[in-house]
Amino acid sequence: MPKLIKNGEIIDNNNQWLQDADQEVTASSIVAAQKWLAEKDNIGHIAGIWLEAGDGVEFLNDVDLNQFEVIGVHFPAFTDGRGFSYARLLRERLNFKGDIRALGNFIPDQLGYLLRVGFNSFQFNEDVDLEKALALHKPFSVAYQGDVADPRPLFLRR
Amino acid sequence: MVHPTMYQYDAIDQQLVEERVAQFRDQTRRYLNKELSEQEFLPLRLQNGLYVQRYAPMLRIAIPYGMLSSTQLRKLADISCRYDRSYGHFSTRQNLQLNWPKLEDVPDILAELAEVQMHAVQTSGNCIRNTTTDQYAGVISDEIVDPRPYCELIRQWSTFHPEFAFLPRKFKIAVNATESADRAATQVHDIGLHIKKNEAGEVGFKVIVGGGLGRTPMVGVTISEFIPRADLLTYLDAIIRVYNQQGRRDNKYKARIKILVKALGIEEFRSRVDAEWAHLRGKESTVPMSEFERLQGFFSEPSYEALDNNPASLTSKLADSAGFARWFERNTFEHKKAGYRIVTLTLKKAGQAPGDATAEQMHKAADLADKYSFGELRVSHEQNLVLADVRQEQLVDLWEAAKEAGFATPTLGLLTDMICCPGGDFCALANAKSIPIAAQIQETFNDLDYLYDLGNIDLNISGCMNACGHHHVGNIGILGVDKKGEEFYQISIGGASGHDASIGKILGPSFAQEEISSVIQKLMNVYVENRSEEERFIDTYRRVGITPFKEAAYAKAN
Repeated sequence: MPKLIKNGEIIDNNNQWLQDADQEVTASSIVAAQKWLAEKDNIGHIAGIWLEAGDGVEFLNDVDLNQFEVIGVHFPAFTDGRGFSYARLLRERLNFKGDIRALGNFIPDQLGYLLRVGFNSFQFNEDVDLEKALALHKPFSVAYQGDVADPRPLFLRR
Repeated sequence: MVHPTMYQYDAIDQQLVEERVAQFRDQTRRYLNKELSEQEFLPLRLQNGLYVQRYAPMLRIAIPYGMLSSTQLRKLADISCRYDRSYGHFSTRQNLQLNWPKLEDVPDILAELAEVQMHAVQTSGNCIRNTTTDQYAGVISDEIVDPRPYCELIRQWSTFHPEFAFLPRKFKIAVNATESADRAATQVHDIGLHIKKNEAGEVGFKVIVGGGLGRTPMVGVTISEFIPRADLLTYLDAIIRVYNQQGRRDNKYKARIKILVKALGIEEFRSRVDAEWAHLRGKESTVPMSEFERLQGFFSEPSYEALDNNPASLTSKLADSAGFARWFERNTFEHKKAGYRIVTLTLKKAGQAPGDATAEQMHKAADLADKYSFGELRVSHEQNLVLADVRQEQLVDLWEAAKEAGFATPTLGLLTDMICCPGGDFCALANAKSIPIAAQIQETFNDLDYLYDLGNIDLNISGCMNACGHHHVGNIGILGVDKKGEEFYQISIGGASGHDASIGKILGPSFAQEEISSVIQKLMNVYVENRSEEERFIDTYRRVGITPFKEAAYAKAN
């Protein structure tokens, strides 16, 4: 069974991240958000949707996101930082309560920042040692800025 | 002890830099063990200022808004001796670059920097870089308010910002606080902030966005005439959030915010920022008065004495010594307090690369700061050091000491006070060397009377299109280009980096290295022939246009 890091633990990944449009959709699928929006009347219950870099989040403004267990955010390259803003907007503006899952080519050294902007689950590429990755989740014990965990900047806590 | 009129780390600031050292030590270890690939380590090391250059790594150490204590400068000197070749290079963005450290030593260097409240955080990479400002901050009379507390606020907000560590491209912010000059080149930054007061006397910022140099040089445009200071961080978050999501990532040469602003037009860009800001304004990141007061507290005035201007020791020396008078006129600047003067220690001695300082010179500058200027120094955009608080009665002593250390070349602002990148001698990106060009110009234009007669001219040299030497905004800009494997130099004129910022125009086909000084000489001749009284080079150029300069530069010898 493929694994995930979720809420600080390594667990089984029971979802299928559907990267190809023609893959079969099941109740445990994570479907491309644009596809889901276009075909939602024909798609039954699914675990969630995923955002491609470039999608933005505005097109989901009128969607009840909390029908989903998980929203994935794809990193085409770990240097493509658009997903950091998407996660934050999903949490802070669209009030999504479920799993926000990093997908694709992000790397363990980004875990600290990913957690701070609202990601809580991580589907790493297969070659990543999840135990070692987990050890990198909190490089800093304090932060200057507010974030999803605590919206107060340090100047309100100092 | 760090000097008390600078920002002082508390336990939290200290903990953050120490945790950063530990993080980078682990990343370096994993890279050397091959647990991290070259490709993965690259952006991680860049976010800590570490490049791999032509011959060795280059480490860029942050000097936040150019402020240094003598203790910190001694530490930099000491580090350059033990880990490098006993010198450093002060850059146009007020940082210090070491050109020969060993990669495996960098974690130890960072640990030593942390001992004196310094770091290399975000001095490179596609993230928010060191914020820069006027080297005369806090000591000039026409300043609206001291910009340094705001620079520190921005430093803290940008340090390890979780959302903006992987932007489309690098992001530079500069702050100006006076109407009479813009010494931080704010209009050619991704964001330029001009501190101002509104009619009610409240402090805020005019915000300029989309300036920048590099391949597509642009002067920034105004996105807001006034953002109240309490809203500064939410407004910056809004701008950068729009850029992070919508800036181009398909082509690194089109990835700076200037390209997005240009493509959308400022109206559309502004409306997107405003839409984002509407969600953020007034929220937790709104800065309370207590934080401004806390930060301002660090930049209180040093213990000035009540003194008069023009003490006898100064006026008599000015009358007796042409050399001193020249240095006083060029290299010192009016201070807000009577009896004090701002002194620039120039790093432009002939035979030394512009902006370079040896470890010995760094120690000497630190000693001079302790003796004459409350133990504090600043680094300027023009790659010089500044002693901001010198008693006028001590200027003669300081001049003698500065001469001895090679800091008194009395050419501040003149043709030979060049801005120059390290160029092809060090940098892997460069197309051509820049230091030998600077040396050639220094040797050719060595007659001080002539330089004084020419007056203020900014000459900037970059070894490639990345424009680290800011050639686009030099009154004269020199750009190294590669033509079939040979180094040539393109010359542009008419650039400026102040409130009248403009991008220079290319004169024509590029020149061979040995021709540069004679071309500059021809340009100077055109200026001298055409100038009216009091006209600077840039003014004459703006009046007569490029044609006479072009004709002279390319005229065939008789």
